[in-house]
Amino acid sequence: MPIISAKNITHLYNKGTPSEAVALKDVSIDINKGELVGIIGHTGSGKSTLVQHFNALLKPDSGTVTVDGVDIWSSKRAAHDARFKVGLCFQYPEYQLFEETVYKDISFGPGNMGLPGDEIDRRVRRAAEYVGLQSDLLDKSPFDLSGGEKRRAAIAGVIAMEPEALILDEPTAGLDPAGRDRVLEMIRNYRERTGSAVLLVSHSMEDVARLADKVLVMNNAGVEMFGTVDEVYSHAQRLRDIGLNIPQISKIMYILSSKGYDFGSAYTVERALELITGKAGVRE
Amino acid sequence: MIKDITIGQYFIGDSFMHKLDARMKIILTMVFIVAIFLCKSFPALGLMVLFTIALVLISGVPMKMVLKSLKPIAIIVLFTSVLNIFYVRGGTELVSWRFIHIGTNGIFTALFMAVRIICLVVVSSLLTYTTTPTMLTDALEKLLSPLKLVKVPVATLAMMMTLALRFIPTLIDEIDRITNAQKARGADLDNGGFIKRAKALIPIIVPLFVSSIRRAYELADAMDCRCYTGGNGRTRMKQMKLMPRDFISAAVTALFVAGIIVLNHFFKAVIVR
Repeated sequence: MPIISAKNITHLYNKGTPSEAVALKDVSIDINKGELVGIIGHTGSGKSTLVQHFNALLKPDSGTVTVDGVDIWSSKRAAHDARFKVGLCFQYPEYQLFEETVYKDISFGPGNMGLPGDEIDRRVRRAAEYVGLQSDLLDKSPFDLSGGEKRRAAIAGVIAMEPEALILDEPTAGLDPAGRDRVLEMIRNYRERTGSAVLLVSHSMEDVARLADKVLVMNNAGVEMFGTVDEVYSHAQRLRDIGLNIPQISKIMYILSSKGYDFGSAYTVERALELITGKAGVRE
Repeated sequence: MIKDITIGQYFIGDSFMHKLDARMKIILTMVFIVAIFLCKSFPALGLMVLFTIALVLISGVPMKMVLKSLKPIAIIVLFTSVLNIFYVRGGTELVSWRFIHIGTNGIFTALFMAVRIICLVVVSSLLTYTTTPTMLTDALEKLLSPLKLVKVPVATLAMMMTLALRFIPTLIDEIDRITNAQKARGADLDNGGFIKRAKALIPIIVPLFVSSIRRAYELADAMDCRCYTGGNGRTRMKQMKLMPRDFISAAVTALFVAGIIVLNHFFKAVIVR
């Protein structure tokens, strides 16, 4: 059974005013338990609007969203539960930090769930561990952390709710390469250890290729493609037409094969290296 | 919900009043407000009401919108009117019961007060409906420039006002963003008593302050980089120029004030103040 299922959802912005605009048009999608789905699309394609429907922040103008088999708009209770079952971490989440200490900030979500104190404590410490925050940082003010640490503390605040599906909207935006790698590594670890579904909204086709099982491509307020990384990335021309681009390394592999050196196709540098060294029979 | 707030409440239009010079509009509005309090006889009051209605029609702003701006002051109007009915003595006694005395003077004063406040609010909201906030601050800067002689930093004050207005939409977006982020962590903003709701705002206000201060620093740096050294001696891209229509408006307003004075002179004043 899918953990998140959207059926024919349509969403309009500024409904009933002259500036009415279609943000989502008849979108249907199923996200299975434990799946890691990359969501890509150019700016304004409806990615962020779509993910805000999954945790009941936005209500579709038509269509239904079910989380764990429950229609989230069937009752107030269901909408409330969806917030915790589907953890949504917005872009630049460090701007949501507000408490005196990192510990208190991470415990905000679990506290809102009404959990007992010792359970909150367990969750805070575990979330901090997942994102790689040392325990001595927990007593610091969140405003004293570095940029990358703030980002990870904010993500921990969502993870601490132990959602069955975690949505991360551009979690690596504005980070330096080292910070980016740590966040991506963290996502991979988190997913392996919890088995939770993860939705990764990203502009980086390479990051998505590296982490995701499936890719959802959004275009013009609708679903353009949804399938495995190989299926989706094989439509390079179509992706380019809708303003996306395949990873640099894929282009290189493509050029190589057109020049007569066919090593197959790859979306990550690591995979390309494997293919080339394997086929050429050389090692390092 | 927050997006519904209209600040500066400019109504896009192309009427005669929209085209007037903002400086002239501010001065004429002030003249009009003085005239409001000169009205002491019924004919003068009638002239003022007619003139106000004419102004609304010229501005092209829908009557509905003008009336909407009256809503917040309804209670004030009611309160002052009721107070005046009981406090102002004199005239023909209508009701006299123990300590309550209501005379014609009280009723007239109440009526005048109500009409005056309504006209005052209508005319000043016409000013903001037909003038963009930027035009208003520019005009204010020009009008207050004599204060420079007594070392009031008029240009800097005007810049502060412009910046404050500029950041209102930005802050509204920011509030929306932070609210959504905290709601995603299960923050409950809509339920509970007053104290609980006030407390629920802390997770929104703290990040809002932090980012506002950050923005202020960034803006200061950006202004520094573009060699802003204070407002004195800055020139404007849009120069304000008085046109014939501005002088016509001034003349019409002067006629109106003269009319009020003449009517007051020939007809009996019905109120003392």
